[in-house]
Amino acid sequence: MKKLIPLAAATALLLTACGNGNYAATQIPAKETPPTTSTTPAAPRPCADGQSALASYAPDAETPAPGGAMPAGSWMAKIKERGRLIAGVSADSFNLGYRDPITGKIQGFDIDMIQAVAKGIFPDADTNPNRVELRVISSPARIPSLRDTKNPVDIVARNMTINCDRWNDIAFSAEYYRSGQKTLVQSDNPAKSTADLSGQTVCAPAGSTSLTNLKEKNPKVKAVTADTDTGCLVMFQQGKAQGISGDDTVLAGDVAQDPYAKVLPERFSDEPYGLGISLTHPEFVKFVNVVLQQMKDDGRWKTSYDKWFALALGKAPVPPVAVYGRVPVHG
Amino acid sequence: MTQTQSAPPATVPAAPPPGASQPAPNARTANPRGAVAQWFEGTPGRMRAFLILAAAMSVVFGLAAAQGFSQSEGALDRAQANTAQLVRIQAIHTNLVSANADATNAFLVGGLEPPDQRAHFVNSLAAAAGLIAEAATAQPADRDVLGALNKTLITYGGLIEQARANNRQGLPIGSQYLKDANSVLQDDSLPLVKALVEANEKRVDTEFDGIGKGTIWVLAGGLLSLVIFAITLRWLARRTHRYLNVPIAAGAAIVLLTTVIGGVALAGASSSAKDTRSAEYDRTLALSRARIAAYDARSNESLTLIARGSGDAFDKAYTAAAAQVDEQLGKVGGSGGNLQRLWTAYKNVHTKVRTADGTEGNWDGAVAMAVGKNTADNSVATFSAFDASSNQQLTRTSTAVQSELKDARDGLPPIGWLGIPIGILAALLVAWGMSQRLEEYR
Repeated sequence: MKKLIPLAAATALLLTACGNGNYAATQIPAKETPPTTSTTPAAPRPCADGQSALASYAPDAETPAPGGAMPAGSWMAKIKERGRLIAGVSADSFNLGYRDPITGKIQGFDIDMIQAVAKGIFPDADTNPNRVELRVISSPARIPSLRDTKNPVDIVARNMTINCDRWNDIAFSAEYYRSGQKTLVQSDNPAKSTADLSGQTVCAPAGSTSLTNLKEKNPKVKAVTADTDTGCLVMFQQGKAQGISGDDTVLAGDVAQDPYAKVLPERFSDEPYGLGISLTHPEFVKFVNVVLQQMKDDGRWKTSYDKWFALALGKAPVPPVAVYGRVPVHG
Repeated sequence: MTQTQSAPPATVPAAPPPGASQPAPNARTANPRGAVAQWFEGTPGRMRAFLILAAAMSVVFGLAAAQGFSQSEGALDRAQANTAQLVRIQAIHTNLVSANADATNAFLVGGLEPPDQRAHFVNSLAAAAGLIAEAATAQPADRDVLGALNKTLITYGGLIEQARANNRQGLPIGSQYLKDANSVLQDDSLPLVKALVEANEKRVDTEFDGIGKGTIWVLAGGLLSLVIFAITLRWLARRTHRYLNVPIAAGAAIVLLTTVIGGVALAGASSSAKDTRSAEYDRTLALSRARIAAYDARSNESLTLIARGSGDAFDKAYTAAAAQVDEQLGKVGGSGGNLQRLWTAYKNVHTKVRTADGTEGNWDGAVAMAVGKNTADNSVATFSAFDASSNQQLTRTSTAVQSELKDARDGLPPIGWLGIPIGILAALLVAWGMSQRLEEYR
């Protein structure tokens, strides 16, 4: 019997051990790592009709004059009926399309183009801010937002380069600005051109022509992507990217926001900007082309350029000449 | 042992002489095993055996009672500590989402943040930082995750300040920093907070479940002891022809009394803890969750506006969060009526915000409501009303949880530390009572 006592005591002590306050440490949840899709971008498609990429639809006799009555059944009439033009724009490309943090208004060179188109449909567009709905879209969302079946945008003005590949998905207006790709680096970087940046990380927006051009220009740079141009600037300021490759217009905006950055002089591509419109509204494309031509002719184009770019990019060049000749597949 | 069973009654009067001569054979054989066997021989031997058994059982009962009580008390203490920790973690969560709601809303007004909103943001973040330090001391098991959370908050705070500095200079890059800050909070900080909430909810559940388990110790120990006491008393009564051995019976009475009092007290504490769990504790959880979801909804309202037309994902997130608020407010019950009314008032303004932005394309009008510039439909004011009222109720219920658990614990008789003395007392009574009978064999 005596032997049982220490045994009982031992079991009692053993049982005491359960239900005390020593908990297992809380686990740090595992990070969900986004699947690294190493998709090789599809080869750029050529223009189906063999026309030059820059060729847009020529205005014709049915195209109404800006400010006049819109023919029934046209997309412009539809917009007028709705009461506002819906435009996809950028809110973070300094001087092109950006939101002024102080006034909260989205403004810039691209926005001036949209405003002119809106004025062509709504004569009171300058005084009534509700005539234009600016939808902020990211760079990869430009084409999908035009092709969206529910609630698409009418027009995209977001420093979009005209090329044959995109002509397969959307239509473009005539060229409204000729930009070119350059590379931005930190002000103490000894590199003289993109070729000297082998092994360094360079940022470009995902889904942009800049990214493709950069990889072509120097395949040895480590390309990283951000959702927007400004996303690249943040990565640059945080040291996650040593350079940014992009259109000179965008880089001019970046340099204006960061005095420790410089743009390398080498310009390695031509980036003709066009306004993106759905392939299903060729009459709207023609109308926009008339508006753009008027702007180039009456000096509004130059006024806008001087306002946004003169300081960073120098004197206004001759506005790009419109090229026509493409025939709409639809209607 | 069995062969001696028939002998004792006859040798009762003759017992003393052999007792005197006992040391002699003991010394001769010098066999310890034989000595033990001899010690338990005959009626006095069996008495000794019963004495040891009953005394040992008394001590074991004392231990079991002490164990049962300290287990239940410990579970109550830990339930109290863990609910306090859970409330703390929920407060961290609330502070973070509320700070983020301020930050995202401030984006809509640009660089010119309203001073009140800025102060609210700073206070929320400071409160979260203080609570993290407090929580790390209160629960060492949470320390690693809280450390990781602290790291993300440093990044978050840094990005917010960079966003403000750029906004103040009118540079559009500020908005990108704000976006990054928001994603640090959503993708890095909040998953850590959610892990903490889950771990602590589990701990609270474990402890609430453990409160009743102490009763088993007391009841099992008590019943077993009483059985042994009963056998002993019965055997003694038959063997000695005395009806009752008073000291041993007194020992049995002490054991019975302790078992009854202890069992009733523990069952009472356990049921009052159960009541707290299903009433105040559940209400606290529901209120915390409702507040977190509400702030989440508020952030998403701002984010939808910030995205200017491409904010479908945020709008869906708003709808999900708002539904969560409604669900949790439903669980709050009686006192939730007023909150539901305030929440509905906010939801109505939100609907107007969405109509202005989504259907009418009047972004500026929608923003005016969302940042409180529209006095008729003021999203800021309606949300603040809900915030203040829900915060008040949360403080009330979480204090009630703490005090109810404390009362349940303080109401327990001090058997935790009296258990062993009681067991020893019973054992001594057994020894006394048995030695009276053993004396007769000297």
